[in-house]
Amino acid sequence: MFQRDIFIQEIIKKLETDKSIYFLSADFGAPALDILRDRFPNNFIHCGISEQAMLDIASGLALDGNNVFVYAMAPFLSLRAIEQAKCGPGLMKLPVCLISVGVGLGYADAGPTHYSTEDFSCFRSIVGSSVFTPSDVSTTKLIAQEMLNNPKFSYVRLDREILPNHQSETTANDYKKGYKIYGSIDDKKIIYISHGKMFHKCMELFLKEKDKFCCIDIFKSKPFPKQLATDLATSKVLIVVDEQSPSGNLSSCVHEGLSKLNVFPKIISKSLPEKYIFENGGRKYLLDKFGLSTNDLLEASKEIIK
Amino acid sequence: MIKLNDLENLAKKYRHDLFEKLLLIKQGHPGSIFSMMDIVVSMYHGGFIRFDKKKNEFLDKVLISKGHATAALYPILRDFGVLPASEWNNWGHKESLLRVFGNTSIPGIDITSGSLGHCIGSGAGMAISYKRKNQDKKVYVIISEGELYEGSTWEALLFAKHNELDNLIIVIDINSLIILGNTKDCLNLEPIKSKIQGLGIKTSEINGHNFNELITAFESVQKSNELNCILAKTIKGKGSSIMENKKNWHYWNPMNEDEIKKTREELS
Repeated sequence: MFQRDIFIQEIIKKLETDKSIYFLSADFGAPALDILRDRFPNNFIHCGISEQAMLDIASGLALDGNNVFVYAMAPFLSLRAIEQAKCGPGLMKLPVCLISVGVGLGYADAGPTHYSTEDFSCFRSIVGSSVFTPSDVSTTKLIAQEMLNNPKFSYVRLDREILPNHQSETTANDYKKGYKIYGSIDDKKIIYISHGKMFHKCMELFLKEKDKFCCIDIFKSKPFPKQLATDLATSKVLIVVDEQSPSGNLSSCVHEGLSKLNVFPKIISKSLPEKYIFENGGRKYLLDKFGLSTNDLLEASKEIIK
Repeated sequence: MIKLNDLENLAKKYRHDLFEKLLLIKQGHPGSIFSMMDIVVSMYHGGFIRFDKKKNEFLDKVLISKGHATAALYPILRDFGVLPASEWNNWGHKESLLRVFGNTSIPGIDITSGSLGHCIGSGAGMAISYKRKNQDKKVYVIISEGELYEGSTWEALLFAKHNELDNLIIVIDINSLIILGNTKDCLNLEPIKSKIQGLGIKTSEINGHNFNELITAFESVQKSNELNCILAKTIKGKGSSIMENKKNWHYWNPMNEDEIKKTREELS
């Protein structure tokens, strides 16, 4: 199931008992949203293809005590409406959750206007925001449940594709920490840190050679999970993988988060290049071409071993 | 019912109070504050913003989208007792709650504003929430005409009209000046009335310094079951001959003793 449908299904469940929830869309749909609109028309608002106004409207709704979800394609919700996010939910600490769909090269068939390769760095710079990037169903559900039970200003980055589940679900305890470790951390292992779709590429390597690799799914990157610094206290090298442009991406986040807690491993950043990608070929082709194939990640580990 | 003459005197008093404060803190936006003073005095002291004396709070919401002029509300809120007089007196000190731009930590200020083009959208969000909950509350949004340059303003107008937000009242303070000069010279906005009417919004045009016209306009929109927009033609810096229609008086400017004396006399 698509992450957006999983998230919206949780909202639908909550709407049965909580009518203070509003779901705003900038003309962006989902099968689950059709159900929400049908069953709870009073709690759905179509804002037109107007991401900026949608964020302002969301702020007004939140100022009246509502729990507001805004929903649009990632590149437009994030960059076009970022000042509205700052001045509304940011400055006024309002419970507005931005559900941003199609991060990274999710809209690979559409080209660079539709790529969302800067949203992570932009949103983690907005004061007061929480930033989430789930990689599986269980984590997506838990994020939705948190936003419903503990509403706050948050930016949730969902993939456009259906992402496969992991072998084990994210537990409440994992969720509380903000990350999940697959394998064990020790000096002999190569540690990959990632989130969302890219985490699955890291997991491919892990599942092939569990004795060589350890993978950390950091689904909550802001606030930075402090316990991760304890877990990585003796680590010497980390490979951080993110489907974003080179500046301000997950590797910056991990570096900042760890260094504030006096943990200073070498960080190898695997990200997209500093260029707008116009090539055709689909997401897999583009990731392979621009340094984010599973083999590229494996090669990065070989460099460390050398 | 308060007399028009009393409203005029109150507006003059508030301009004077604010002038003394801005003189003290040497900052602020007197041109924009003075241009909308008569509008907000009519709204609050004309009884259009309903006040719950027991709760000491207003029932209706007022969003000053031209956040640089939010200070126009401070003396009004002080006189209603919503803003403690001590806070007004303390303005200008480091630990003061009051600022040149308003924010929601200030009693009686319903929105944090400053960046232009946000409040019709926020007001529409509040208004649709009240309507869907069947709450008898109105939202008044005051924007500057300069905010008509912002795309989000038009996005929000479309939204408000589509949703027939008859509990949302938009006032556009048209003082014809932006920082670099006259709007018609910088980037012409006219004809504003036909542009807004073209969206299907009921639009009236008044002299924003004529209390009779202001009261009549607010009475009319209160009775209306449509989304309303009032275009209030105003004078930037109204009340001070030194500031009136001067683009440089968007911000505070240093004044010599003669200018201070003259302005005090005109505002007294």
